[in-house]
Amino acid sequence: MKQSSGVSSCLPVSAKMSKAKKVLDEARETQNRELDLVDKSVSSFEELPGLFNMLNITRITLSHNKISIVPPGIANLSNLEILTLANNQIQELPVSLSSMPKLRILNVSINRISSLPRGFGAFPALEILDLSYNNLNEKNLPGNFFMIETLRALYLGDNDFEFLPPEVKNLKNLEILGLRDNDLLDIPREIGELTRLRELHIQNNRLTVLPPEVANLDLLGSKSVMKMEENPWVTPIMEQYLLGISHVLDYIKTDTYKVLYNRHMHAGRSGPPPPKVDKSKKASRNWA
Amino acid sequence: MTLFCQLIENQRVTQHMSLETMSCTRCGDGFEPHEKIVNSNGELWHTQCFVCAQCFRPFQDGVYYEFEGRKYCERDFHVLFAPCCNKCGEFVIGRVIKAMAANWHPQCFRCQMCAKELADCGFIRNQNRALCHECNAKVKEVGMGKYMCNKCHGMIDDAPLRFRGEVYHGYHFNCTACGVELDSTAREVKSRPGFAANDMNELYCLRCHDKMGIPICGACRRPIEERVVTALGKHWHVEHFVCAKCEKPFLGHRHYEKRGLAYCETHYHQLFGNLCFVCNQVISGDVFTALNKAWCVHHFACSVCDTKMTQKSKFYEYDEKPVCKKCYERFPGELRRRLRTAHENTMKKTA
Ligand SMILES: [Zn+2]
Ligand SMILES: [Zn+2]
Ligand SMILES: [Zn+2]
Ligand SMILES: [Zn+2]
Ligand SMILES: [Zn+2]
Ligand SMILES: [Zn+2]
Ligand SMILES: [Zn+2]
Ligand SMILES: [Zn+2]
Repeated sequence: MKQSSGVSSCLPVSAKMSKAKKVLDEARETQNRELDLVDKSVSSFEELPGLFNMLNITRITLSHNKISIVPPGIANLSNLEILTLANNQIQELPVSLSSMPKLRILNVSINRISSLPRGFGAFPALEILDLSYNNLNEKNLPGNFFMIETLRALYLGDNDFEFLPPEVKNLKNLEILGLRDNDLLDIPREIGELTRLRELHIQNNRLTVLPPEVANLDLLGSKSVMKMEENPWVTPIMEQYLLGISHVLDYIKTDTYKVLYNRHMHAGRSGPPPPKVDKSKKASRNWA
Repeated sequence: MTLFCQLIENQRVTQHMSLETMSCTRCGDGFEPHEKIVNSNGELWHTQCFVCAQCFRPFQDGVYYEFEGRKYCERDFHVLFAPCCNKCGEFVIGRVIKAMAANWHPQCFRCQMCAKELADCGFIRNQNRALCHECNAKVKEVGMGKYMCNKCHGMIDDAPLRFRGEVYHGYHFNCTACGVELDSTAREVKSRPGFAANDMNELYCLRCHDKMGIPICGACRRPIEERVVTALGKHWHVEHFVCAKCEKPFLGHRHYEKRGLAYCETHYHQLFGNLCFVCNQVISGDVFTALNKAWCVHHFACSVCDTKMTQKSKFYEYDEKPVCKKCYERFPGELRRRLRTAHENTMKKTA
């Protein structure tokens, strides 16, 4: 995907303005509390005049636009519950987002976010956080990231994590953890403390072993999902995986496996870790 | 099992065959003139291809272990395939006892009734247990109508005491209330109010058993003198009959029962009912279910553009969330290609 900065500026400014502005005006007239601004060629919040004064708004959807900056003033919208900014060109988020009292769902997937601001984990009510398809890793998360206790679902797929910080155990209400398509070499044992977890996506990583504690989780229930394909698993796990997830979870409970796992962890990773995938073609890598 | 390999020079090989017709067993590519080649049992390898199947590192001193056609370094071979004791989980080095479809240290393979070591005196398989000859003989006597005490494994000559589904000599137990030594007339209190699970059962002598009549609270196990709540087959103090999740007393409010426990409305639905994935509220009307989740009528929508969908809408699965066709087509091309490949691979596996 090549940069196409020309598209939005080809439109006459007035026409572009009116498209999004019309939605705002209509919402003001009809007292509509939800704003749908999908695919409206918006490249800046300046094209949405007066938005931050529409205090009764509960949802804003701005997917498939060209926004690169989210101004801190958005936190003025004290009734906002759902903010969807998927597929834009955002590189940074303002820390003020994490002070929004009613924000429950934040979707900033498919952007170009390479770090999160300090203090970002202070959300008082956030339940679903979608950060998939960005450029995040464990080194550019703020220290309080795993303090969002209200979180039910955390999507971190298509990022650059090699290790998952053990503090993940603080997400006591987490039901869904998406880590698809990262560079993970390890899953911390603390994951076993996420007692409500029922979806774990770890497919397409560089994992060789699973901590035995994963077997404590309810990953076999009728509403559960465990995705673990495309990892360089050690042979005994791979053999069980071919028979089914339940076989893997039974096997990693055994004393035999616990010995294998402990030895594996003590010995340290032997030799070069499995190679990373080339991600240079990711759209999140295209710098403006 | 230990195997060795030798390194040879190109020139010596080419005396017998031409360099062009030779290829590496692993990568299939040919060899450069004067390149070092590994010859292992007639198979030829690039030095960089002759590596451990697990850690991809060369073999130290040329020592490797072969298993099911794959070669491993010593360390990985031990981690992956050395026999582990079925009892203690440690590797078995030295004498391995192979019995009961497992491996054991000699000192770990013992009679499951009397714990005698079995390695040298032999054992008998009895209903999937390894037993010594003596214990097996006792079990046979039981088969002929005699009882064996579940505590001391001795034969019971008079009437047995039955407790938690097993038989015992009465003299191993005392009355829970007065402490007197019991005999076969002791009573096992199964459903005495105040005991939640089966394994909470207790034994009482006949005299104490007869005195018990006052309701006992299922939570605190103290007698109830004021108002009694009866639910789940037990009695409770009003303030002690609580939601199993939030532990708030129902105080006359409606409660929901599931698997022997009581819950408030919120927690019953949270644990067993349908909560909308978006609003996290109990769904009272129509339910949309897909991708292991449920949605209320207001919130079944594309997870990327929030456009409402109906039961008939076609959608793509992305991280177990629904994505409408329009949005999916706006995904970066390289992402769509990867998702397609992943999808095809899952289909292949399940096929
Ligand atoms: Zn190795
Ligand atoms: Zn042993
Ligand atoms: Zn006895
Ligand atoms: Zn007594
Ligand atoms: Zn009580
Ligand atoms: Zn409750
Ligand atoms: Zn809902
Ligand atoms: Zn959509």
